[in-house]
Amino acid sequence: MTAHDHPHAAVGEGDELPGYFEILEIALRELLIEKGLVSADALRRQIEILDSRSPALGSRVVARAWVDAAFKARLLADGSAACEELGVTMYDGTKLIVLENTPEVHNLVVCTLCSCYPRPVLGLPPDWYKSRAYRSRAVRWPRSVLAEFGTNLPDDVEVRVHDSTAAMRYLVLPMRPEGTDDLDEDALAGLVTRDAMIGVTRVATPG
Amino acid sequence: MTGADDLIRRGANDLGGLPAEPIVISDHELLPWEKRCHALLDVLAENRVVNTEEKRRGIDDLGSELLGKLTYYEKWVLAASNVLMQKGVLTSDEIAQRVEAVQDRLGMAR
Amino acid sequence: MTARFGPREEVTVARRYPPGHLRTPFYCRGRTGVVERVLPASINPEEEGFGMYDRAQVPLYRVRFRQVDLWPSYAGPAHDTVDIEIYEHWLVKAES
Repeated sequence: MTAHDHPHAAVGEGDELPGYFEILEIALRELLIEKGLVSADALRRQIEILDSRSPALGSRVVARAWVDAAFKARLLADGSAACEELGVTMYDGTKLIVLENTPEVHNLVVCTLCSCYPRPVLGLPPDWYKSRAYRSRAVRWPRSVLAEFGTNLPDDVEVRVHDSTAAMRYLVLPMRPEGTDDLDEDALAGLVTRDAMIGVTRVATPG
Repeated sequence: MTGADDLIRRGANDLGGLPAEPIVISDHELLPWEKRCHALLDVLAENRVVNTEEKRRGIDDLGSELLGKLTYYEKWVLAASNVLMQKGVLTSDEIAQRVEAVQDRLGMAR
Repeated sequence: MTARFGPREEVTVARRYPPGHLRTPFYCRGRTGVVERVLPASINPEEEGFGMYDRAQVPLYRVRFRQVDLWPSYAGPAHDTVDIEIYEHWLVKAES
């Protein structure tokens, strides 16, 4: 834990005081609670929801699709409904579209207008996904961007970029790596990374 | 075209295809206030006070200088303040007084 | 509201640059692509962004563009594509 993790505890201990924007957040929240427009309870519950979402959920979805062809078909037909089968609810009212990587097509997700991201299945996005550089370049120079993540694709693979601009959210279903026939679903889930589900990397063969 | 026309042709946060530097593959654990800010905007949307699209509009309206300089949740909290004022939910004076009260409570100079 | 376009239909994005809160990326204005699928109708974000939550829903599409049609100087192979969600009022039938 650094001092930054507990800016409130730091007050009066000679550490850094909260900055202007943090004070503004406190002020808005207090005013909105006093006016009855949000409740402290709802805020606490929402933080719990945010904390409960992480790439581990997406990894479970991917691993299930790798071992269960019927589930995979349902997932590609209706991503939101299939995720709900595994107890992953789309709490933010968005719909999930799952994009299957194949030997012919590699999918990559970006939001050039803000930073739309499949939060219910992956949690909150990493900083680089929200960065000006990624949002500007992924849609026009996807192969250079992929190379910066160490992903070099041959020209015979179609790179399909998804600009997540409206009501849908996108999750990439990576290809199951070679040499994983002996692994069970949990072990497979352990191989699936967040970045592979955004589409900037592939899932590597273990070992 | 006077040149001024060009400034509105592309929204300040509409970045697709602009030249930019290599990706810095970075991340950080959200600070507690950043996570609270995220939850606050989620609940405001759920309660139909300020929804996601209004928040996005508020962020676009910050303009390219602020978009380039503020951190992600600094943009969110500033956009939320502006939209709440535009909708008549809060006033500048209320916000200013509460900011001062919070600073006093935390023993900060102002 | 019924969707005017169907899958595989060629559509062109309006070359318009109005003020407002727009969710149609600048880079696809005036470009032609193919409807990949019709998505569930949705509130128009250009109205929702200004606090109008309960207006009629409008048809929404996922339109697939070839990179070489978006960026004449595209450096990769001609089969690379971009999918973008676009609301119906931005689309016209492509001239063949």
